[in-house]
Amino acid sequence: MRKSWLVAAATYRRRVRSSAFLLLTFGLPLLMVAVGAISILTQIRGALPPVGYVDRTGQLATVESVPVMDETLDLTPYADVDAAQQALMDGDIAGYLVVPEDYFEEEAARPTFYGEERPNARLESGLTAFMRQAMLPEAPASQIERLEDPAEITFVARQTGERVAQGPALVVRFATPALLAIIFVFTVFTSANQMGSAVVREKEQRAMEMVITSLAPRELVVGKVLGMMLLSLTQVGVWMIGAGVAIGLALFGTLSVQDLSIPWSAVLWAVLLGVPAYFLYAVLGAGLGVIAGDKQQARQLAGLLGFLGMGPLYLTGAIINNLDGPLSIGLTLFPLTAPTIALFRMTLSDVPTWQLAASFAIIVVGLVASIWIVARIFRAAMLMYGQALRPRQIVRALREA
Amino acid sequence: MNGTIALDVRGVSKRYAAVEAVKGLSFTVRQGEIFGLLGPNGAGKTTTIRMVLDIIKPTSGEISVLGGPMTEEKKSRIGYLPEERGLYDDMTLLDTLLFLGQLKGLSRQTARERAEAYLREVELWEARERKIEAMSQGMNQKAQFVAGTMHEPELLIIDEPFSGLDPVNTRIIKDLLLRMRDRGTAIIMSTHQMHRVEEMCQRILLIDHGERVLYGPLDDVREQFATNAVEVDLKGELDEVPGVKRLSPRNGGYRMMLEEGVKPEGLLQTLVDMPEVTVERFERVQTSLEDIFVQVVGREVSESEGEEA
Repeated sequence: MRKSWLVAAATYRRRVRSSAFLLLTFGLPLLMVAVGAISILTQIRGALPPVGYVDRTGQLATVESVPVMDETLDLTPYADVDAAQQALMDGDIAGYLVVPEDYFEEEAARPTFYGEERPNARLESGLTAFMRQAMLPEAPASQIERLEDPAEITFVARQTGERVAQGPALVVRFATPALLAIIFVFTVFTSANQMGSAVVREKEQRAMEMVITSLAPRELVVGKVLGMMLLSLTQVGVWMIGAGVAIGLALFGTLSVQDLSIPWSAVLWAVLLGVPAYFLYAVLGAGLGVIAGDKQQARQLAGLLGFLGMGPLYLTGAIINNLDGPLSIGLTLFPLTAPTIALFRMTLSDVPTWQLAASFAIIVVGLVASIWIVARIFRAAMLMYGQALRPRQIVRALREA
Repeated sequence: MNGTIALDVRGVSKRYAAVEAVKGLSFTVRQGEIFGLLGPNGAGKTTTIRMVLDIIKPTSGEISVLGGPMTEEKKSRIGYLPEERGLYDDMTLLDTLLFLGQLKGLSRQTARERAEAYLREVELWEARERKIEAMSQGMNQKAQFVAGTMHEPELLIIDEPFSGLDPVNTRIIKDLLLRMRDRGTAIIMSTHQMHRVEEMCQRILLIDHGERVLYGPLDDVREQFATNAVEVDLKGELDEVPGVKRLSPRNGGYRMMLEEGVKPEGLLQTLVDMPEVTVERFERVQTSLEDIFVQVVGREVSESEGEEA
């Protein structure tokens, strides 16, 4: 195993310094953080400008200011739209809200805001606060505040005792498994391709003959895959940190950490199924790289493998329609689709533990068998520079081992 | 240790579908000798080497390496410089040597010490932080030689070690090989440079079409192909000499082809006894290895080109 780690470390060091890896790994999260930062910058940009309003219902109370977070939104009532429009053109206000006459009578009737620009989130929040206060002028501030979310429900699961609050926390609870599944699919898709290309490149550099006289083909395959896996983990880790920062910036002030309800069992199964399944994909990717004659052929073969990884996404509808049906269970037990399908099912229902445990065992057995097979093909093909391995040669390689 | 059998190949064959690349090959290599593995392209040399190194399995026969069957542990005691040169282009020279040295079982510290010492010796110290892709062919060749020998193997297999090297670097590598031999390393050298074999090898194996054609000490092989000719420098004129079937002037002297059964010693006595002749140099003509090679496999060389198994 020591030699496998040496190969893994060398593989990692060689590729982690490449400009393509650095660009892809850090470019994407920087972009995400930039988007998040823009979102927050738009929120904290300058003071809230004064606005006006026209009450055509005649039933709203006069409100001259409302608190918005740590600021105050100043409002001016106008008798009609012409007056408000004039004030807007004079630059006295940044816009005005028109509350229609039939606001209290028809559900479809909505207030309309006219302004130079589209109102930002803080101004929207201020206008909503204005409407609440204008409709209930006598109500205490605490009641008006409560009206913002009158039924914030906490859901408690009787069997597990799990508590999930309504709102963004609930979304986090149910979106996490699906998000983990998508991360798995994305990682597998990119790394199967990278693995195949890495092996072809290794063959092209003709260093294999020297290396293979120092360690067993199995150790070389495991080392290569470990190195590539560490690379992918680095990449996904950086992306997740970037995504976390970006989401944090985007949701700034709207959701606290305590509100989050992470489904830890889904995270645990994502690791237990995802890590060996990723390893399995990488070993198969290496095998396809060995069989391929050149990088283009390796990419084509890796594309087929990636398609297998993406497959469950196309079957989402069929699986959601029958979460515990034979298709769902079958794909949960099939090693190449197990992590994605199991996590998708967890999004909407509980997956029986025996299925998850069986899935884990099948993936591990599949992984060991794959390493055995790929190592033998590796031995036969590694010295065939620029040539693809024919099916008959693959069979012979397996038989002679 | 010198003289101990390091490699014992017994009746080894390798068949690829309808082609038998190696046919019942047997030979031994001893510690402290440089053994020449010769043959035209496609003769089965590389297949033989790969079977010895356990890269491919023989169809039949037995190979004993360093006293027994090949094991993973023994890989650390063997060095290999393949004909197909290649190192990782995107690694620096020093990192490459540290990596390959550690794969051969050296600790990182020892690998560093050995790498630094060898790099100084082969005059690559200044290039230690350079990437492999930025090195010349000759530098690459030396780097690969260091990578294959820095763990000081007991058995070293080198395929065309001097190709692409200038005379200065050839001398450096040759001296290193001779030093390793003197330390007791068994060295198998596969090359087409016959003069290097004559300079460095004690015994040879010549294979053709996967079969053993010549095998044994270099002197014995030469003896086997001796032409029974002598070259003589002398004062005086010769028209006819008893026991000589052909007399031809050469470089101011003569080359004499002896008749069947006539020994050079007898001819020398005859010449010395001639009153009008003074012998200044008398030398038995050595058949060169290249002549022997061409004589044995010459016709087949062109037919076998590009069929390296």
